[in-house]
Amino acid sequence: MAPRPILNVRSARSPWAVLACALGLGLALSACATAPVPTTQMAVAEASVQKANSTSTRQYAGVELQRAVDKLAQAQHALVNKDYDGARRFAEQADVDAQVADLHAHAVRALKAAQDSRDASKVLSDEIQRSAPR
Amino acid sequence: MNTPFTHPRFLLSALCLTLAACSSVPERNSALERAHGRYNAALNNAEITSQAVPEMQAAAQALVNADQALKTGASDVEVDHLAYLAQQRITMAQDTAASRSAEAVTAGAAAERDRLRLSQRTSEADEAQAKLRQSQAENARQGSALAAAEVDAQRKQMRADQRDAHMQDLEVQLIELHAKKTDRGMVVTVSDTLFDTGKAALGVEGTRNMGKLADFFKRNPGRHATVEGYTDNVGGAAANERLSGRRRRCRCSPRPWRVGRGCA
Repeated sequence: MAPRPILNVRSARSPWAVLACALGLGLALSACATAPVPTTQMAVAEASVQKANSTSTRQYAGVELQRAVDKLAQAQHALVNKDYDGARRFAEQADVDAQVADLHAHAVRALKAAQDSRDASKVLSDEIQRSAPR
Repeated sequence: MNTPFTHPRFLLSALCLTLAACSSVPERNSALERAHGRYNAALNNAEITSQAVPEMQAAAQALVNADQALKTGASDVEVDHLAYLAQQRITMAQDTAASRSAEAVTAGAAAERDRLRLSQRTSEADEAQAKLRQSQAENARQGSALAAAEVDAQRKQMRADQRDAHMQDLEVQLIELHAKKTDRGMVVTVSDTLFDTGKAALGVEGTRNMGKLADFFKRNPGRHATVEGYTDNVGGAAANERLSGRRRRCRCSPRPWRVGRGCA
């Protein structure tokens, strides 16, 4: 009796099982490719928001800071729901939003300082002008 | 500065759009187009292109990423997301430029205040110096005026002293001559009987007394005197008149007491 190829025997035995295995592997691989867990992005976003969350930023860029905080919360929510793509996007946006808040607060402070400085110069100039013709 | 149409980023995005147009389905994303519009506007802003160079580079990179995603057929959600990141990068560039400009204004204003204060101090110092010089000059002037006044006072005092001494001397001399103060001035009676009866020559005592008087007038040349003489009642009026004439001439004749100013 001639030996029969094993594959032929197996395929003959369960052709649907092989197909299911291949399909399952493909699905698993595609799931891995589309949505890796955004660990790095989450860490970066958390660090940025924490850095931006200062008294000064709250005072001078409250709206921008709140947007960053909300985005981070959304990212964490998406992560819990295993929506890794959504989590990555929210995390990346939270990062830039936090940076914007920081820079915006700095700009507002700088503009305020410039105005104060100009006012002080004007006051000094007026004072000197007043006291000059003594 | 690059114009928006020659900037490499614009050319790149134009190329991307061209490539997108070539494909069968034209790919467009309104958020990404807005991001490009804002980026080009920022490129036209000299403040941003000069003050926020690395931030603009980051924004350009974000735009390239978004364009790339659009070109490779990424989902709308992903392209919107990348366009949002690019827009936020442009916002960062704007805020950074605003901060730098404001800081430059602050520094400039501080420098201006320093300059103002310095010029104020300088003018105050100059003023103080001028005042000092003025007051020194004033002091010197007052000092010299005081000194002059003192010298003048001393001179006056000296003159007054001299005059007093002179007056005292005069008084002493007049007292010696038994002078009496009257309405007509000092009256010195030389002697009751200067001349002997009927004679026109001075007696011994008369000569001595007249000598004293002559000395006095020699020492005090500014003084005037009226010499009066009366005859006694011996003899007639006409004879006495003649006698007085002779006596007057006698007084003017060369004698030791003659002052040399002539007789009136």
